[in-house]
Amino acid sequence: MKIFEKVKKNKLLSAVILAYGILFATMPDKALAAVNNSMYYVFEMLMIMPVIFILTSLAEAWVPKEVIINSFGEKSGFKGNIFAFLLGSFSAGPIYAAFPVCRMLLKKGAGIANIVIVLSTWAVIKVPMLANEAKFLGPKFMAMRWVLTTISIFIMAYFIAKAVKKEDMPQELETDGQAVSVNQDYCIGCGVCVNICPKIFYMEGKKAVARKEAIAGPIAEKVSKAAEACPGKAINYTL
Amino acid sequence: MKLPKLDIFTLSLWLITAGLFLFFLFKDKKKTLNSTKIAKGMMGGLLGDLMGILFLIGLILTFIPPETIRTFLGKSNVFLATVISALAGSVTLIPAFIAFPLVGSLVKVGASIVPAVAFLTTLTMVGFVTFPLEKKELGLKFALWRNSLSFVFALIIAFIMGVIA
Repeated sequence: MKIFEKVKKNKLLSAVILAYGILFATMPDKALAAVNNSMYYVFEMLMIMPVIFILTSLAEAWVPKEVIINSFGEKSGFKGNIFAFLLGSFSAGPIYAAFPVCRMLLKKGAGIANIVIVLSTWAVIKVPMLANEAKFLGPKFMAMRWVLTTISIFIMAYFIAKAVKKEDMPQELETDGQAVSVNQDYCIGCGVCVNICPKIFYMEGKKAVARKEAIAGPIAEKVSKAAEACPGKAINYTL
Repeated sequence: MKLPKLDIFTLSLWLITAGLFLFFLFKDKKKTLNSTKIAKGMMGGLLGDLMGILFLIGLILTFIPPETIRTFLGKSNVFLATVISALAGSVTLIPAFIAFPLVGSLVKVGASIVPAVAFLTTLTMVGFVTFPLEKKELGLKFALWRNSLSFVFALIIAFIMGVIA
């Protein structure tokens, strides 16, 4: 049963392993050549992965996101655009992890243009990823794409801010009334909440889930700490 | 077996990163070490897909001859290849982290960079799969505008790269 679950979790890897299994049985020399070809890329990845890993952790810990978030409101102008750009560039996680962050920013008064900038830079321009791109496609390729993408993002922000108004956006989202909940759409499965507060949070498959318990005292403090640390801003709680 | 060389670029990245890490470790040991836990969790979830893609690259390079890659993704019909790559990038949801080695391997054997750029840019910026989520959080009008403009700009970026690279 456990093996079946593992296969289900790693569909791509399982399919590739299966393909290799069949190959080694039918044409072993080709299979060996394929392994050799792959090993080149495995080593390249190993050479760059610790760098990406460390840069991602440092950005998580040391970029003062709270300061950045509090510094772009409706009238923050060009400075606000730059802050939005920095926030997106130093955040980790896929683009959908940025949606709840954007909602929070809207609530704090950020303009549409800045939301576009945060979302787009979050998606395309991330400092640790730039290192990875330069490694596999060359520093020149990376630098050119970075410049062109940055220009495009600012043009898009300008146009979308003209086309979409705040009234076009949904106002309040419903919560399910639980004391603590993890939004499954946005959990990236990093496990940081489980580390901080294992009494409430646990992993179920690749996602974190919250136990249905009332929270009070020291636990409440830990829950708010976990919610703050959550890179996807996926934890909702009411105290 | 051919192994990659440690180039000057990677070496300098290592030195800079190690320097930064030591600096912040010295500044606040606990905070810095704690942050590695978050990164570990995020990357741990990717490891399976990452290994899958890396070994898929070996299969592609062994079984699809470079001439075929050059014909379909090469310079002969760049426009069609680019539009198709941009569409493929829009509907797939794999982290860019994993896509770089795959795209890099294809470019190395002769694929044009124009479809490569289009794919990489729409992959991260246009989200077909995440569209319903974006719509729910930020509204239909915003999601439509952002995704379609991103698609158009991905094509523009790709063709400009093709001209100046």
